[in-house]
Amino acid sequence: MDFDAIVIGGGHAGIEAAMCMSRLGFETMMVTQNLDCIGKMSCNPAVGGLAKGNMVREIDALGGEMGRLIDATMIQFRVLNRSRGPAVQAPRAQADKKAYEVLAKKTVERQDHLHLYMDTVVDLSFDSSGRKVTGVVTQRGKRMSAKVVVLTTGTFLNGKVFIGEYSETAGRLAEPAAVGLDRTLAGLGFRMGRMKTGTPARVARWSLDFDRMEEQFGDEDVVPFSFSHTSVNRPKLSCYITFTNSKTHRILEENMARSPLYSGLIVGSGPRYCPSIEDKVVKFPDKDRHQIFIEPEGLDTEEMYLNGISSSMPEDVQEAFIHTIPGLEHAELMRPGYAVEYDYIDPSQLYPTMEAKLCENLFIAGQTNGSSGYEEAAGQGLIAGINAARRLQGAPPFVLSRAEAYIGVLCDDLVTLGTKEPYRMFTSRAEHRLVLRADSCDMRLFEKGYELGLHPEARYEAFCRKRDTIAEIKELLRRRHLSQNDFDSDAASAMNGTKLLLERHVGKSLYQILKDPQLSLADVQYVAPELVEANGEIIPGEWLRQVELDVKYEGYVARQERQILRMDKIERIRIPEGFDFNGVTGLSTESREKLNHIRPLNVGQASRISGVRNSDIAVLMASVQRRRS
Amino acid sequence: MQKNYASTDDCIVALATPYAESAIAVIRASGEHCLQHADNLFSRSEVLASATGHSAHVGYLLHPVSRERIDQVVCTVYRAPASYTGQDSVEVSCHGSLSVIQTCLEAFRAAGFRPAGPGEFTLRAFLAGKLGLTQAEAVAELVRARTRTASTLALGRLSGRLEHRIEAIKQSLLHVLAGVEIQLDYPEEDTGEVPHDIASLIRARDNVAALADTYRTGALYQDGVLVALAGATNAGKSSLFNALLREDRSIVSDVHGTTRDYIEASIDVGGVPVKLVDTAGLREIDEQVEGEGIRRSGRIIARAAAVVYLVDATAGVSAGDTRNLADLPSDKPVVKVWNKVDLLPADHAVPEGYIRSSVESGEGLAEILDAIFSRISGGAAALTGDETVVDSARQHDLLRRAAESLERTITSVHDEMPADIVAVDLQDAVGALGEITGEVSTDDVLETMFGGFCVGK
Repeated sequence: MDFDAIVIGGGHAGIEAAMCMSRLGFETMMVTQNLDCIGKMSCNPAVGGLAKGNMVREIDALGGEMGRLIDATMIQFRVLNRSRGPAVQAPRAQADKKAYEVLAKKTVERQDHLHLYMDTVVDLSFDSSGRKVTGVVTQRGKRMSAKVVVLTTGTFLNGKVFIGEYSETAGRLAEPAAVGLDRTLAGLGFRMGRMKTGTPARVARWSLDFDRMEEQFGDEDVVPFSFSHTSVNRPKLSCYITFTNSKTHRILEENMARSPLYSGLIVGSGPRYCPSIEDKVVKFPDKDRHQIFIEPEGLDTEEMYLNGISSSMPEDVQEAFIHTIPGLEHAELMRPGYAVEYDYIDPSQLYPTMEAKLCENLFIAGQTNGSSGYEEAAGQGLIAGINAARRLQGAPPFVLSRAEAYIGVLCDDLVTLGTKEPYRMFTSRAEHRLVLRADSCDMRLFEKGYELGLHPEARYEAFCRKRDTIAEIKELLRRRHLSQNDFDSDAASAMNGTKLLLERHVGKSLYQILKDPQLSLADVQYVAPELVEANGEIIPGEWLRQVELDVKYEGYVARQERQILRMDKIERIRIPEGFDFNGVTGLSTESREKLNHIRPLNVGQASRISGVRNSDIAVLMASVQRRRS
Repeated sequence: MQKNYASTDDCIVALATPYAESAIAVIRASGEHCLQHADNLFSRSEVLASATGHSAHVGYLLHPVSRERIDQVVCTVYRAPASYTGQDSVEVSCHGSLSVIQTCLEAFRAAGFRPAGPGEFTLRAFLAGKLGLTQAEAVAELVRARTRTASTLALGRLSGRLEHRIEAIKQSLLHVLAGVEIQLDYPEEDTGEVPHDIASLIRARDNVAALADTYRTGALYQDGVLVALAGATNAGKSSLFNALLREDRSIVSDVHGTTRDYIEASIDVGGVPVKLVDTAGLREIDEQVEGEGIRRSGRIIARAAAVVYLVDATAGVSAGDTRNLADLPSDKPVVKVWNKVDLLPADHAVPEGYIRSSVESGEGLAEILDAIFSRISGGAAALTGDETVVDSARQHDLLRRAAESLERTITSVHDEMPADIVAVDLQDAVGALGEITGEVSTDDVLETMFGGFCVGK
């Protein structure tokens, strides 16, 4: 064998997979079409956001790279949803794209056991059974063998770019598509489909009239994505907000016939949640304006990203409609917006480990699986890398549950439901939303990352200190009761209105008091100064915040968990391996097909398969239980 | 449910009509290959096994072993999947004498058919995807519906009326939920600060609560109630009992008569199945042990939804009557009847709160029935069968849960709780309704989100 592992692709999924396997000591080869495009952000210059920010922190807690990369290259940071409850607050950063790429490349280059090679993989090799992958074949005829292969081709598999009537074979504008692997996958029996996504035009910063737009600042306080960083010191750039108007919409309507989306050139399904501007105009004719965020692409570039108006209209139409927008009247286009259509594999053909059911030791991650987004790709890449490594170690698979991480939701959704549009994570997809908070990812996952071997000792010790301190604070809050004497101290005398709120609670434990929605842990610190320091050091605000949210949300979390328990009794009804769905009388043909195809591991997973009816689940349940007894 | 039934495809048999003397009785059998098995039982051999679905065949039912003729019958054949259970089925119409029914059923058993458990045909129909959960429940209730109004109500549900109403509420909540979720997942979008649709929430809560409240009425019509006749020995209870039975033309079960230790009968009062108990029977039968009689009478009255108390007008309200009435539990609805008015001058004074009645002449009987109805239904107007009524405890529980979750949602909105908390209760409400009419998937929520709001960068 030439290598233990080969990773095809150097995007966000490929980086996590390759870093994780080489970090565990496996000789890993990353084959990429272009060494200068490692970690490239094809679309928006941002990392994080709702649910996605949580995933970045989950990746970090498990020992992945993405959090450290963005911390070091961000040019704006914001916590979204500050007013809407901590469970749905999420960090998001604008990235300096070029800096991110450079750092990503440097990171993989300097990683021990990780090798890089610039070539295009066009075929896979198999053992005599044809069901076990043994290596890859490149465009230039080079053969490399490995025990496991992780495939992360993104939008490059048979990619086709559209701008109006123009189209080219490419995975990104002017970057050649990968052709050949699609035939290999189809030959293995993969069901494949076409998906479509799009990106907006980039315009020159100097040509914009910022006076006509609303400036959007980042937060002053930056909370690092990575749990290994205590602070982030980066330049802070602004974004700008403007809107389309009726003139914009008229131009789009008049030219709709020239849109490849509506002329029938594009067959792939695009995302409902991220429609192109032409889609928005057609589907929401009553809306008289659409919001645009203008985001810098980096510190060393004039390029600005027009978030909200992705388009595959002809270039002259793009230019014309962009010029109707306040602030963009004289915008100079530097890159046109375009749509890209590409092959994806139906992800329900994978196990939750991201290994293909059809081919042993072949793991597939990222946009190839029909997902969308850097964070979704990275999350899958990490899970694929971890499980490929565990295959090499002979260790059991590593799967996260839906209650542990958004990454668990991501993998379960993809392999259980498949997807008909590019899959993006939403907080609404997570039934355990209240426990999947961004601030507590380390408490949920750090230990697992350490056990996997992905955290160095020093970092783990730091985590243990935080975990133990948080436990101590909670214990202290439970033990300590508020007494009238607590109001006598100097610190307490500095309170104003808080004193009245606190006085109602004399006699109760601080833990109980903290549940009062009007009181924060900072308020409680007035009367319990022992909460300010631990082991002679000031307790970091983030830690206190975690305690506060844990306590305040405890009751709601319990209620949510009860609901889930009620719904998910069927989750525990296991379907035996090799169960014969054809032998179950009473199943509808459609359900039978879907069950045969997905081969769910339990009745809960079966119930989430779209198109499987309630009555079919009842039949399945009856039949599984009957067979057991 | 599954545990009771070893299999859902073996051959089962049951009498589909009541076990009573009648012109025709119908025996129903279903299961895989049930027509081949039933062929043994039929005089025209090979007919059933090769019969097409929805065909009827005349012949004799035979005992499978002795080959003796039992009865001339008509066999109606249903072929899978076009049958109630989705399996091959046969319905045998035989003559309705008890001995014929018994012998036919024995013949089926001898041919290897297993007696069906209660609701097993409906379970199979449900498992075959023939019925939704609420529909399956409705069929079970249709089968045991005791009065015509009750069966009309059950039919209403079968046609999906209840499902339709709950679905409508669920859809309206789904929109509110999508509005909350869109704000959570797209905080920066130009959807504006979509205010919580509190009006929709309140409307939904009221609708759900109103639907849940019909359970009492629904259960009343389905399960019926007990009404006790009480009064002094010579007040005319037995005569009134018999008169009320005559008044009701849709007697469901027979008078059990004096073979039992008390007299009871089922009558239909405004569509409600009422079990009328004449406590007189108790006293008279147990007169040697008067104490025991009074005790039993007390137990009946305690269980009764209403008490009809008769006073002999010619004797007037006795000290005993006053004591008996005072002994009734204070919250027990009472219909007081001033009986035997035909024996008094027409213009004599009737004490306040009594219904003038003469069992002899029939005067006042309709008023007594009306009064019974108004007491047992808590004053509600009689149902006509057009109303949507919840009469399964499962549905009632889920509706109560939805109403409570909505109440908490509304409180959270008033208290300006963060949206992620508001969403917890709202999701629970939608989930509870979903358990009645079919689950709500994440994709339903997302569909509503992206169908209703233009978002996405």
